Amino acid sequence: MIEPGRWVELAGIEPRPRWTRRLHLFTAIVLIGVTVLSWRLVELQVIQGAGFNRLALINRIHRLTVEAERGVIYDRHGLQLAFNDPAWSLQVTPVGLPDDRGGRAAEYQQLARLSGRTAADIGLAVAADLDPYRPLTIKAGLTQQEAETAQERLPELPGARLDQVPVRRYADPEIYSHVLGYTGRIDGEAYKQLRGSGYLPDESIGRAGVEAGLEDVLRGRNGWEDVETDANGVVKQVLALQAPVAGRSVYLSLDGALQKEAYGRLQEGLAKANSKAGAIVATDPRDGEVLALVSYPGYDANAFAAGITQAAYDKLLADPGKPLYDRAIAGLYPPGSTFKMITGTAGLEEGKITPSTLLGCPSHLSFGAWTYWNWARYDFGLMNVLKAIPTSCDTFFYQVADRLGPDALAAYARAFGYGAVPGIEIPGAQAGVAPNPDYKQSICATPGSPECSWNEGDTVTMGIGQSYVLATPLIQAMYAATMGNSGTLLRPTIVHKVTDGAGTVLTSAQPAVVRQVPISPANLEVLRQGMNQCLNGPWGTAAIARVLGFRWDGGCKTGTAQFGGTGVDLPSHAWFVDFGPYNTPTFASATLLENGGFGEYTAEPVAVNVLDYYFDHRGQINLDG
Amino acid sequence: MVRLHPLHRLDLLQLLLTAMLVSLGLMAVFSASQPDLKRQLLSLAVGLAAFAAAAALDYRQLRRAALPTYAVCLLLLLAVHLAGHSALGARRWLSIAGFPLEPSEIAKLVILVALADHLARAQGREQRLPTLLGALALAAPPAVLILLQPDLGTAMVFAALCVGLLFLGGASRLHLAGLGAIGAVAIPIVPHLLHGYQRRRLEIFLNPASDPLGAGYNLIQARIAVGSGGVFGHGWLHGPQSQLGFVPERATDFIFAVYAEQFGLLGCLVLLLLFAFLLVRLAWAASVAPDRFGFLIATGVAVMLSFQVAENIGMNIGLTPIAGIPLPLVSYGGSALVTNLAALGLVQSVLLRRRLLVYRPEQVLERYLLNESGTVRLGPEIEAPLRA
Repeated sequence: MIEPGRWVELAGIEPRPRWTRRLHLFTAIVLIGVTVLSWRLVELQVIQGAGFNRLALINRIHRLTVEAERGVIYDRHGLQLAFNDPAWSLQVTPVGLPDDRGGRAAEYQQLARLSGRTAADIGLAVAADLDPYRPLTIKAGLTQQEAETAQERLPELPGARLDQVPVRRYADPEIYSHVLGYTGRIDGEAYKQLRGSGYLPDESIGRAGVEAGLEDVLRGRNGWEDVETDANGVVKQVLALQAPVAGRSVYLSLDGALQKEAYGRLQEGLAKANSKAGAIVATDPRDGEVLALVSYPGYDANAFAAGITQAAYDKLLADPGKPLYDRAIAGLYPPGSTFKMITGTAGLEEGKITPSTLLGCPSHLSFGAWTYWNWARYDFGLMNVLKAIPTSCDTFFYQVADRLGPDALAAYARAFGYGAVPGIEIPGAQAGVAPNPDYKQSICATPGSPECSWNEGDTVTMGIGQSYVLATPLIQAMYAATMGNSGTLLRPTIVHKVTDGAGTVLTSAQPAVVRQVPISPANLEVLRQGMNQCLNGPWGTAAIARVLGFRWDGGCKTGTAQFGGTGVDLPSHAWFVDFGPYNTPTFASATLLENGGFGEYTAEPVAVNVLDYYFDHRGQINLDG
Repeated sequence: MVRLHPLHRLDLLQLLLTAMLVSLGLMAVFSASQPDLKRQLLSLAVGLAAFAAAAALDYRQLRRAALPTYAVCLLLLLAVHLAGHSALGARRWLSIAGFPLEPSEIAKLVILVALADHLARAQGREQRLPTLLGALALAAPPAVLILLQPDLGTAMVFAALCVGLLFLGGASRLHLAGLGAIGAVAIPIVPHLLHGYQRRRLEIFLNPASDPLGAGYNLIQARIAVGSGGVFGHGWLHGPQSQLGFVPERATDFIFAVYAEQFGLLGCLVLLLLFAFLLVRLAWAASVAPDRFGFLIATGVAVMLSFQVAENIGMNIGLTPIAGIPLPLVSYGGSALVTNLAALGLVQSVLLRRRLLVYRPEQVLERYLLNESGTVRLGPEIEAPLRA
């Protein structure tokens, strides 16, 4: 029996729940809330589900460009001059960088320390990149030590990674620097124009030399791969890919050994002449293929390939020797006495002289108010053109030029290639100048004034390659080749052949004739004889070649070109142009020593050494690679 | 005498629902961030202990401790300001013996008890204005301190808790309407009081496309994850959005997106129904609570949980602004899990002390049996054994 007044509990019987109205309302709100959320989920997951699935796909599937490997550059015999070396490169996937501004700035600082670029520069590059999932190269070609340092830091650098990427390397970079040029990152402004051609913002592009001239051939075609990445851009798997097509192999017409010899001899000759800069261009007069193309001083193209620092670049720019300047194709110099065969051609062809016309060779001649001197201060007596060339008689050619006038002289200079950019595959070649009175006006500081009008003095000095005549070593070499090969001006070419990866020849150099110079074979032979006498004749200015031990036969001409206006007292530019062998020339070259003094004393020994080397090795050099 | 073992009064259904939600949460946390699971399991052990302790404790004893704990809690929140660890621009954590502790989570429970105590004391005066003002005065200091951390989300939970308790506790309709009016006037001012990133979140909510790679990224990525889940989901551990890291803060604020991507609409409906059952079950607990304080404890827990669930899932699917509130019982986060389990334990404590059926011989004459929470009419089948 239960005692009255005590609480007693019974199993299984609940008290009647006391649901207040507001408790009911709360329950209703919960149910309404669940309904609203459920409906929204139906909307997102069922109605728009397919769309979100596609967005999720876009999120994680990315098409990344796979850069094509750049074509290898060889000399004519297959010696590797420019190639690709796998090297560590520091990259950043922008999407993996810290989200907050401070974290990013800190990481840019770290990356700047590792790469040698400035943090601001890196920030700009990242900001300019259109695809945040694509790894952006911050610095290519890290040294082993740099790579190790970077490797240690990677864990603190979200989004950064190291990857093996081919980096452009050059064998003997200084010797080939101007021929090959270099590759470098596309700078911001240029990229706007190149984007249409499928370039990536951090892709390397040929910036000079053959690298720039044959960019389209060397570049190849980029491929792509569709990858699945995580949110930080780390690739999880490759889903599909289109392999890139590697760039084509380019065989230059250069002979590597000859190029090296020419560079070395020029260096040597410059040191003796106390000169700082020079150039040698050698070509085959049969087809216009360039066998050596040297501009001194060279520079280290490998520094560019790995991304040159601003400091190093500024240093190159400030170098008084101007190493970035390709004197061989862009250096403009008065040709001096080497021009005399052109004056001779004009005189003979225009009927102002005949091979037997005798003119005096006094120590000086007066034209109007001016007196012009021969290089020798004594009278050589009467001579014909055959003797005037080897003796390099200035007064003889003053008279011929005076008879011709500037327009006729300029016409023949143009016929030999002056005043037109030679069609070599390297960008930056200069045209030289075959001047006339209008030209003088156009470059004159005060056009229309008396000192700007052409005078007789300008004409006569033009006859000895002074006045306003300008030529590049390349133009001079092609001119020498034209003298050698019976008057055919050829287009210079530096590309021997282009092959694909399998070695199939795609294109090979074909001799391209620019024009047949209007000169009769008989007249040409007189001038060629004159050039031969230069070497062999008793009065030959180049007779010193024999003393130097030159054993071969050909034709040549020295030149000592004065330059500059009044008050400038620098040594003359020393020239030497040549071809050989005499009857069937296979070699022609032009050698220039900037401020080298007398051509026969400074340029000639260099040229003779190169000629000797050529003749000793011509069997190999002319061998097709 | 027939006396029931107290454990028979344990609400097994609530326990089951909680266990299911926590299990789903563990699965989601594992798939979102495997290294976090171990810690979460550790927190779960602490949480279960807290649950058991809260259930075993007579909740009525809490009334005496309500004000002192409230004071300690305010001090803790103050300590966060002075010595807290910050994350994502906000100071929220204290290190206690190496463990990160989020006082604002614990504060939720402490404020709940304090408010329930205050409103229970005011029994009979629910409709009066001083009661309402007193409740606001209790809730305001911690809410302001948390708002200054700055943690808008948790401050909002406090506001919701206070208003919800007042509403369910029977505050005057007029006063509540006035409170609502003040709120409506205050809302346009709120953006000016917000910190830069909070204002940004609000703007992003209104127009997520305005900054797809910046602040809007979270919202867009979460929505993509939810949407790409479809009806059936990608399967556990297989959602690319979450597995490849596109969903941000995927173990905490955006755990629902991770869950939705993997388990699809069906999984989401299951989760929503579990929460709905749990909340209704908590409302039921309030309805059978033996006293006013117990009633307010149960309603408070229900309000607190329901607001957090709505806000968190809402922000995951783009219905509410991002506010940094974890999904109760599911999200990774020790302080929140322990607090929520302790809160549910408190409700169990209330239920354990409810009277199932009470017999008072002197009232049998009226054939009614009264208990503190209501009256029960006995049928003849019960009457007979009682008389025996």
